[in-house]
Amino acid sequence: MSLILISIAYLAYAAFWVRLSLHAVVWLRAARQQAAGPSAAPGKPLHAFAMTLIDLLLFRRLFASNKPLWLGSWAFHTAFFIVILRHLRFFLEPVPDCIVRVQPFGVFAGYLMAFSLAYVIFLRTATKTKYVSYQNYIILGLVFLISATGLLMRNYFPPDLVDVKSFVMGLVAMRPAPLPAGFFFSLHFFFVLLLVPFLPFHLFTAPFVAFEARKREFRLDKVMHDR
Amino acid sequence: MTGNGEKEKAAPDDRSFTKGLSPLQLIEIDACTQCGECLKYCPVQDVTGNPLISPPEKIRVFREFIKATDGLKARLLGPQHIDRKLLEDFTKAVYECTTCGACGQHCTVGIFTQRLWPMLRKEMVRRGLGPIGPQANLPKVIGETGNPYNRLAVERFAPWFPEDVKVSEKAAIAYYAGCTGAYEATPMVRGDVLVLGAIGEPFTMLPAEDEVCCGFPLFITGQHDMLEDLVSRLVAAYRAKGVKTLLCSCPCCVNIMSRDWPLFYKKELPFRIRHITQFVAAAMKSGKLAIKKELRERLIYHDPCYLSRGVGIMEEPRAVLRGIPGAELLEFDRNRLESRCCGAGGAARKIFSENAIEMGRHTIAEAVEKKADKLVLSCPACYAKVNEAMVGYDKQIEIVDIMELLAKMIEAVDSGTP
Repeated sequence: MSLILISIAYLAYAAFWVRLSLHAVVWLRAARQQAAGPSAAPGKPLHAFAMTLIDLLLFRRLFASNKPLWLGSWAFHTAFFIVILRHLRFFLEPVPDCIVRVQPFGVFAGYLMAFSLAYVIFLRTATKTKYVSYQNYIILGLVFLISATGLLMRNYFPPDLVDVKSFVMGLVAMRPAPLPAGFFFSLHFFFVLLLVPFLPFHLFTAPFVAFEARKREFRLDKVMHDR
Repeated sequence: MTGNGEKEKAAPDDRSFTKGLSPLQLIEIDACTQCGECLKYCPVQDVTGNPLISPPEKIRVFREFIKATDGLKARLLGPQHIDRKLLEDFTKAVYECTTCGACGQHCTVGIFTQRLWPMLRKEMVRRGLGPIGPQANLPKVIGETGNPYNRLAVERFAPWFPEDVKVSEKAAIAYYAGCTGAYEATPMVRGDVLVLGAIGEPFTMLPAEDEVCCGFPLFITGQHDMLEDLVSRLVAAYRAKGVKTLLCSCPCCVNIMSRDWPLFYKKELPFRIRHITQFVAAAMKSGKLAIKKELRERLIYHDPCYLSRGVGIMEEPRAVLRGIPGAELLEFDRNRLESRCCGAGGAARKIFSENAIEMGRHTIAEAVEKKADKLVLSCPACYAKVNEAMVGYDKQIEIVDIMELLAKMIEAVDSGTP
């Protein structure tokens, strides 16, 4: 079991990088092919950057479009981020002070993540939405399972955290240690491995697109009001 | 097969679905969260209710195409087979869109769809799948007649051009009527010229045979081959007349002129592009044009997608309308950047006419509901289609172009009409 999960971990890791590289190759090739021409006027990049940060931190665009969904989505993404921060204690030695400080919030974020996810899934299924992305549901379901198994471990089936840390650090250092005991840890870890190669790409690309959208908004007034 | 019997192989780049797209557009395709929020604002969804032709579905399918030619399997084993029907359905979906850009305006990420959809069309043209229907004849027709309507150059200005307006041989200001206005929305372009005449600043125009298509119908249908030539001809002709400001009332023309002509011309244009409402609003502000007659009516102004979301002209048309004494200006629920397409956009109005009529009727219905006396437009395609949508519709309202209305106000004073 230990060997299988460790092998899957490295495969998932490799799959993620292969996928990212294939996308990067496509982007870079397009950049090489792009015809040169008069470039658009710069659209207040610093202002655009600041506004993009607000857009990204507060999910402004989603807020403008769908407030109930915004509530769930923003809570979920924020909680997910804090949970990831909390998990960094397994990857770093010594554990930085800021990560230590985030731990109590991380526990709360764990609950928030599960509830907000359930709320988002409920909202998407209960309300009449015109477009359904089954791929999104699979990913949301997977994240919910990760979240649920994490909470089960936190409350009912705690693994040996020292073993967990040695295992995770061993994986990162390419010197795998034995898998910690506990069914729910194995399950939790397995779901994470399933998610890694299928991480939605908007996590990496949306910030850039949001920044470009802001710059475009600032430039719009210059298109016909320039000189 | 080549002459020596060797199997002809396309270069890998030629098979790729990403060839015509910019890096940003490829990143945008990756950035779509598939949330489906944009469907709430899609006018085509409003009238078809078919999610298969929705923005996220088009992006999902196009991702599959990219995967088939640039994914891991394709890299290891060669490009994967894509079902012909899927390609055809996608092509139809991408051409059924009005390219109004409302989906992008409301996109939770900020994808610039008003530009992405035409580029996907271009890719389908490159593959021999697009355009669809009579759109395929556009290059031939424009090549032969200079306009997309297969009409003679002598019919371009003669039927509507007011006799008493003088056009200078050379001037710093030029007026481009545009094909749709000149052939399909003549009250609009007549209004433009009458208002320009009333302002009194000298302006020039190209002879009818030289005022060829601006390229927008070709651009929007993904047929880019002739664009460089058309743009070069027009720019050279205006340059020869000493033009410093080129005026136009058609949002589609104005959009391609300001956004894309420099790209096809390969350098900055030697003149600036202005929408006619910008020029007229400035003339009204400076006192060169004064509307003295009162119009005690409620006017509702529809923002054309390519004028508002496209190039940011939203306040000048309103300033012009507010300059009419007595007129009350109403707003659609969705206005300015949020405006709702009337159905005439994206060169889809003649191919998917029923959709366009339905969308046009939504616009009419809201204007009637708001108890407007006149529905004011400022786009020849909107003008032609919304007028068509009114035929046989139980809700009726007077449709008028903004310059047509202004010209009537000026003419009424000149002729002494009370």
